[in-house]
Amino acid sequence: MAVLRSREIVPTGTPPKPQKTRNDNKLEPPTPAQTKESSPSSHQDPIPISTGSAPGRVPVLGVAPRRSRRLASKLVEPPAEGPSRDSVQDGGRQRRKGGSREDAAYSAEEKAKEEIEEVKTDSGSEEPRFWSSDLEEAKGKRKLGVVDGYLPSLECSEDGEGGIGVLSLRSGKRVSKRGNDGIEGGRQVGEFGKIGEDKGKAILDSEEASGEFRIPKISKGKRKISDSGEEEVIADENGDNRKRKGKGLLVEDDGLVSNSNLDVEIRLETEVENNSGDNVVSNEGQVRNEFMERFRDIARRNAYRFAHFDGEEEDNEPHSEVDDEPDIEDWPGPFSTALKIIRDREKKNQQPGNSSSREKKPADVVWFPKSNQDCKWSKNVVPSLQELSLRCLANNADKLVSLDYFPDCLKHRLSQLLCDSRRMNAHVFKLLLQGSPTEVCVKDCSWLTEEEFTKCFQNFDPSNLMVLQLGFCGRCLPDFLLCSTLACAENSLPVLTTLSVRGACRLSDIGLKSLVSSAPALRSLNLTECSLLTSSSIDTLANSLGLILRELYLDQCLSIDVMLTLPALKKLEQLEVLSLAGIATVCDKFIREFISIRGHNMKELILADCVNLTDSSLKIIAEKCPGLRAVDLSNLRKLTDSSLGYLANCCRAIQRLILSRDLFSDKSIAAFLETSGECLEELSLNSVRKVGCHTALSIARRLRVLRSLNLSFCRGLTDNALGFIVDSCLSLRVLKIFGCTQVTSVFVNGHSNPDVKIIGLPMCPVLEDFKEPSV
Amino acid sequence: MRKEDTVKLISAEGFEFVVHKDAAMVSQTIRNMLTSPGSFAETQHGEVTFPEISTTILEKICKYFYWNLEFASGKETEFHIEPELTLELMMAANYLHT
Repeated sequence: MAVLRSREIVPTGTPPKPQKTRNDNKLEPPTPAQTKESSPSSHQDPIPISTGSAPGRVPVLGVAPRRSRRLASKLVEPPAEGPSRDSVQDGGRQRRKGGSREDAAYSAEEKAKEEIEEVKTDSGSEEPRFWSSDLEEAKGKRKLGVVDGYLPSLECSEDGEGGIGVLSLRSGKRVSKRGNDGIEGGRQVGEFGKIGEDKGKAILDSEEASGEFRIPKISKGKRKISDSGEEEVIADENGDNRKRKGKGLLVEDDGLVSNSNLDVEIRLETEVENNSGDNVVSNEGQVRNEFMERFRDIARRNAYRFAHFDGEEEDNEPHSEVDDEPDIEDWPGPFSTALKIIRDREKKNQQPGNSSSREKKPADVVWFPKSNQDCKWSKNVVPSLQELSLRCLANNADKLVSLDYFPDCLKHRLSQLLCDSRRMNAHVFKLLLQGSPTEVCVKDCSWLTEEEFTKCFQNFDPSNLMVLQLGFCGRCLPDFLLCSTLACAENSLPVLTTLSVRGACRLSDIGLKSLVSSAPALRSLNLTECSLLTSSSIDTLANSLGLILRELYLDQCLSIDVMLTLPALKKLEQLEVLSLAGIATVCDKFIREFISIRGHNMKELILADCVNLTDSSLKIIAEKCPGLRAVDLSNLRKLTDSSLGYLANCCRAIQRLILSRDLFSDKSIAAFLETSGECLEELSLNSVRKVGCHTALSIARRLRVLRSLNLSFCRGLTDNALGFIVDSCLSLRVLKIFGCTQVTSVFVNGHSNPDVKIIGLPMCPVLEDFKEPSV
Repeated sequence: MRKEDTVKLISAEGFEFVVHKDAAMVSQTIRNMLTSPGSFAETQHGEVTFPEISTTILEKICKYFYWNLEFASGKETEFHIEPELTLELMMAANYLHT
C-alpha cells in the first residue's frame, strides 16, 4: 500500500494514472503559496476517457489563497454525489474560465471533494481518472490517491459520503491548513480517492462528460468550500502523512471509505491535477455544502471501522495505541495470528462487495430466523414448586415458627427473597440464627438496628458457623458491638471460613483486628465499602491470616492507599482472589510489584474502575498469572487492544471476563475470543461500543460453554448476529441486551434456542432475573 | 386414561394417587426413576412410594404437576399455596426436584 508522503501536484494535461504515479508525484506540502499550476504532468494515469476532462479543462488553478475547507463546505450543499461532483467539475471548469487562482483552488478542492465522494462510494469502479484529469488542471502537481476513483462514482452512484467523510474525519482533529485550497485539497482527496481507484478505472470520460453537463453555480460557494474543505483535507492528509507514515493510509482510510472499498489499502496515489480542481470548483455552493455534510456524516459513521485494531479512540490519548500497535503486530503469538486471520477475512468479504456496500455490510452475519415463528416458547420457564412455595413462605414469613431442618440453600434463598422485598425483620433473623447454624446469609442488614442486633446475637451459638454474610451492616455494626457479640473472645468463631461484612462503614481498623483475631480460620474476607479501613488493617490481616487467606475483597475501600499495603499484600501467600474495584490509587507500579510476587496463585482479579491502569499492567498480569480464571477490567479506558493480546497469548483458561465500558475494537475482541475463549462461561461486553459482527462470529464459533452473555448497549450487533450467537451457543442461558435498540422481533421470535433467557428487552420485567453476585 | 399412561404415587399414609405419566415426569426424581434403564422396582410396577410425604402434601404436588403442564402449554394462571402447607411442600418439592 502506498503511503502518501509527499505529493506533488500533478500538472494538468494527461489523465493521471492513479496507481502508478502515486509515488512519483511528490506532493507539495500544503502551504499557502503552494499551488502551482503546471503543465499536465506525466504522472497522470492514462485514463482512457477523459472526455475533455484533461484536455478540455484549462487548469486555472493556481495558487489559491487557503481557505478553510470547513467554511467552504458549509457553503456548499452537495445534493448528491453525482451532481456535486459535476458541480465541482463544473466549478472547476468555470474556474478555469475565470482563470483566477482562487477559482482554481476552489475547483481543485471541489474536485478533491468529489473525489472523496467517489472513493467512498462503492462504485469505486469509477475511475479515478476523472478526478485526476481534473486535478491535472489544478495547479501544481498533486497526487491524488483515491480520488480518481471518486469522480466517476460521484456520477454514478450514491454517495459522496466518502469524500466528505474524509474531510470530516480530519476536521475534528486537525485544523486544516490554509493551503492551496484547490490543489491541496484535491491532492488529499486524491489520496483517498486512490482507494477507490483500485476498483478500476471508471470511465472518466463519461463521468467527466456528465459532470460537465451539470454546472451548478459555483461562484459563491466556491470560496468557502475550498476554504473549509481543502483545508481540512490538506491538513488532515498532510498531518497524517507526516505524523505517521505507516498509518497514514489507515488514517486516510478512516475518513474515506465508507464501504469496503476503503478497506482496501490505498494502493495508489493518483495525482490530482489542479485541473480537476478547477473543474470541480464550479459547483454550486449548496451542492458542496450538502456534499460536505454527507461526507461528514458518513465519515462519522464509518470512521471507526477503519481505525486500526488498537483503536483510534477519539477520547483517549492515541499515542499509546500507536506505540502498542507495532508490538502486537510483531508478536508471533496466537493472538496476532487470529487478528490477522480476522482482518484477512474481512478484506476478503469486502473485496467482492465493493460496489454494493455502502454501509458496513460486509461483516454481517448470515443467519436465518426459524420459519415457524408462531411457536414461541413460553417466555417464562414454568416456576418450580420450590420457588412457588418459597415465595409463599416469604409472603408469610411472620408466621414462621421454625426453620429447623431447612437446608442452607433454601434458607439463603428465603433470606434473599425477604431482603429483596424489604420484608426481612428481626423475627426471621432470629429464626435464621437459631440452633447452631452453619451458614447465615443476610444480604441486606440495613434495617437492623444496634439493639436488635444485640438481642439477636445474644443466644447465638457460633460454634458451627462457617459462613457469615451481613451485608450493608454499617448501621448495626460499630466496633464496640462487634467486640461484644461476635468477636467477644479470641477464637469465638472457630470454624468461620467465609465472612462478608460488606458496607460495614463503622468498622475501623481496631474492630477488624478483633474480628480477625476471633476467626483464625478465615479464608475469604469481603470488606467491600468499609470506608474506614486503612492500610494498617491489611497489615493486621497479613499478620494473622497471612498463611491462609485466599480471597480478599477490598472494593471501594477508599481510605486504603494500595501502595502502602503492598508489603502486607505480598505476605498473603495463598491469595487467589483479589478485588480492588474502585480504588483509584491502584496503579501500574502496584500491579507490577504485587503480581510479580503473588501472580502465580492468582485466580481472580477484579480491577474494575481502577482507571489509572494501562497496558503495562495487563502485560505483567498476563505473564505472571497463568492460572487466571476470572478478570474484571471494567471501565479501564486506558487499555488498548494490546492488553487483549497479552491476555490472549498467556491466559487461556479464563472463565469469567468482564470488559464493560472498555474501548477495545471489534477485531481484537474477536481475536481474543478465538484464541483464548474456550473456557469462557461468563462474558460481559456491556457498553463496548465497537463490538460488531467479528465478535459475534467468534462468540458463536468458539464459546461452547458460555452460559451468561451480556451484550448490553452493543449497538453494532444486528439481529442476525445475535440470532447466530444464540443459536450457536447451546449452553447459553442468559443473554442481556439492555439498550440494544436495534434488536427487533426478528431475533426475539426467530431464534431457536429454547433455553436462553433474554433479559433487557423493552417492556419486559427484569427484577425477577436480577441476580446479585454471591458473597 | 389407559393404564400404560399412568403412574401411581403412594403417600406415607398409603393413599394412592393415580396420575398421568407426563404429569409425574414434571418431577425430575420421578422421571429418573421411571425412565432410567436401571433396576428401579418402580419402573416395573409403575408405582412410587413416598414414605416421608404426607397425603395432603402429595395431593398438592399432584395438583402442581397438572398446573405445570397447563402453564407450559400457555395457560398461565396462579398456583395458590396455603401457608400452612408451605414448609412441608417446599421440603417435598426439594426432594422431588420439582
